[in-house]
Amino acid sequence: MARSWRWIAGLALAAMLLAACSQGGTGAGTEGSGGDQDSNQLTVIGPWSGAEMEQFLPVLEEAERRLGITIQYQTQRYEDLAQVLPAQFEAGQAPADVIFMWDWWVKEHAQDAVDLKDIWEPEAGAFRMPAAEAGGQVVAVPYALTVKPGFWYRKSFFAEHGLEVPATWDEFVALLQRLAEIEGVQAPVASGDGTGWPLSDVVEHFLIAFGGPDLQRDLIEGRIAWTDPKVQEVFRDRLVPVLEYFSDPMDWTQAVDLWWQGEYGLYFMGNWLTGLVDDPSDLGVFPLPGARGMVAATDYVFVPRHSPRAEKAKQLVAFLISREGMELRARQGGKLSGRNDVPAEAHPAVDQEVARLLEGAELLPDLDDAIGGDWQRTFWDQLKLLWVEPGQWQGVLERLEQERGR
Amino acid sequence: MRPLPGRPRRSRRRDPLWLAAPALVLILALVVVPAAETLWLAFVDAGGRWAGLAHFQAVLQDPETLAPGRFPGSPPPWGSLVHNLVWVALHLPLTTGLGLALALLLQEVRGGSLLRSFVFLGMVTPLVVGGVLIRFLFDENAGVIPALFRNLGVESLARTWTAYPQLALPALILGSVWLWAGFAMVLYSAGLASIPRAYYEAALVDGAGWWSRFRHITWPSLRPVTAVVVAMTVLWELKIFDLVYTATQGGPGGASMVLALQMYFYGFRSLDPHRAAAVATLLTLCTLLIGLWFVRTAEGGERG
Repeated sequence: MARSWRWIAGLALAAMLLAACSQGGTGAGTEGSGGDQDSNQLTVIGPWSGAEMEQFLPVLEEAERRLGITIQYQTQRYEDLAQVLPAQFEAGQAPADVIFMWDWWVKEHAQDAVDLKDIWEPEAGAFRMPAAEAGGQVVAVPYALTVKPGFWYRKSFFAEHGLEVPATWDEFVALLQRLAEIEGVQAPVASGDGTGWPLSDVVEHFLIAFGGPDLQRDLIEGRIAWTDPKVQEVFRDRLVPVLEYFSDPMDWTQAVDLWWQGEYGLYFMGNWLTGLVDDPSDLGVFPLPGARGMVAATDYVFVPRHSPRAEKAKQLVAFLISREGMELRARQGGKLSGRNDVPAEAHPAVDQEVARLLEGAELLPDLDDAIGGDWQRTFWDQLKLLWVEPGQWQGVLERLEQERGR
Repeated sequence: MRPLPGRPRRSRRRDPLWLAAPALVLILALVVVPAAETLWLAFVDAGGRWAGLAHFQAVLQDPETLAPGRFPGSPPPWGSLVHNLVWVALHLPLTTGLGLALALLLQEVRGGSLLRSFVFLGMVTPLVVGGVLIRFLFDENAGVIPALFRNLGVESLARTWTAYPQLALPALILGSVWLWAGFAMVLYSAGLASIPRAYYEAALVDGAGWWSRFRHITWPSLRPVTAVVVAMTVLWELKIFDLVYTATQGGPGGASMVLALQMYFYGFRSLDPHRAAAVATLLTLCTLLIGLWFVRTAEGGERG
């Protein structure tokens, strides 16, 4: 029996040795990304694929040229990263040297992020959105902007049916009614879905338009309850009465195609829509009449502490948020400059109209992105319910408040 | 048999331990330790202090786990615990019945093997893909099912099923019947092939009809297979996750939430490993009960 235990001990030892060897050739125990060979090769993880990735890659190519590095880009959704990163960090590993992620999430994992204060402070004044800070450190910095300016329409469709952009709430409701009467139109407004965020964008736009920008900020900070009369008023008097004009939630990319084909008259979406249609010059957009603010969502980028090339990674981030780097990104389209010193003219023609809207509007953080956590998921899910059961709006608000209180 | 004199007697008990050692090490590292740690997490707080049943209480008081007063009078959400039970109550008889019916039908059909392969395709389809397929299958614009009901004039079902709280759970269950029935069918087909023909020939000589032959020969002979199908299907229903995650994310309004998905949201959205571990422990308990039932059934079968 003693011999058997010696064998088992031997096997366990061999397994441990194998595991130790697979930690990485450099012997840097807590270092990540395989503790890698080539210190000039960086890996960047971002959420963009398809056309959005094509718009981002030229920026990375320019960074490669300027910094003398090579960059490998990988696409991973934030939802998937949220699942993968904690275990990687726990093991002292990082799947990439530069990672785009929700700001609330990076704040929650601040101990795993490199302090970017030295590269952020010289640029902070030029940025429209704040950095993500935790424990006195800058753990993530904002990059390019996407805005949710309002309802998009096809100029040719409006011209064909003699429709005009509404200037008042009554005109908006009348427009919805006219759209409903057009033959071949399934519903006046297409409702994008998937995970639920497109519906949240619509709701935020209503909150800002009829409750004012402060309502959005108060809800983010938890200074006002979801069951507050002010919120109830927006839901009861503005949003819920027009939900009958919205389609059932459908996959948001599918909704783009159907709306473009004329099966729906309007579509509420962020400005990245310009990169998803065949003829961006046919696009027009209008906010809800009276809206003084606009949600501007930004992608946050951080450098994981476990990256063995953290210094190079910081150089790359510094380039991304520099005026030149940002202007280069703006030129590719689909995103707006996160800096206010990049002129609207730097954007492609189709984005310039939206870029100019930024100048007059109050930019606000995306409500559900800012709160994050499971509340965000509940928000998306409850709105899916609201869309098909508008009569349950009070229950929806109560559920949101209950979840917010946790 | 006595060992020959002078030859050392080898222990017959030690060899299996040697052979099992590598697997035991892996099971210890990859199953036992994580399971023990999960159990530990379910009973301690963030500071590592003993929390008793607090996390279990929090989970069971969450309206996403149990929505008191809603079942069965109101439409979903009824809570993930009830939804999982609904899965078992609907999905189990449907897949088992359909699998058996298909196995019986295709038993004597020319080209039955090929048809069985087609039915089994659903079983080998990754469930993530299955979830996307379900979403489109029940989509108002692209789906076959709403189109079918539209042609039948049933407008209330000619819409996107996954968007409505009344229809999301049935859509997922029906979709997964389609995906999972192949499993029951293949097992039943193998079971049917193992029943001696002589039984049926003797029954025919005695003048037994189809129903009589099924009731007295086929069904009793298939009991061990049924036990396997039932056990595996219930376990699958309890741990259902990817299909729901891809198709509805548990919505709308929590109307299709299931325990495994809730565990994921606790762990990776709420960043609360303790409540996630509590759900995992509850799920493990349910699974263990099914496993024990299955082992007892199998042992009973062997003795019988």
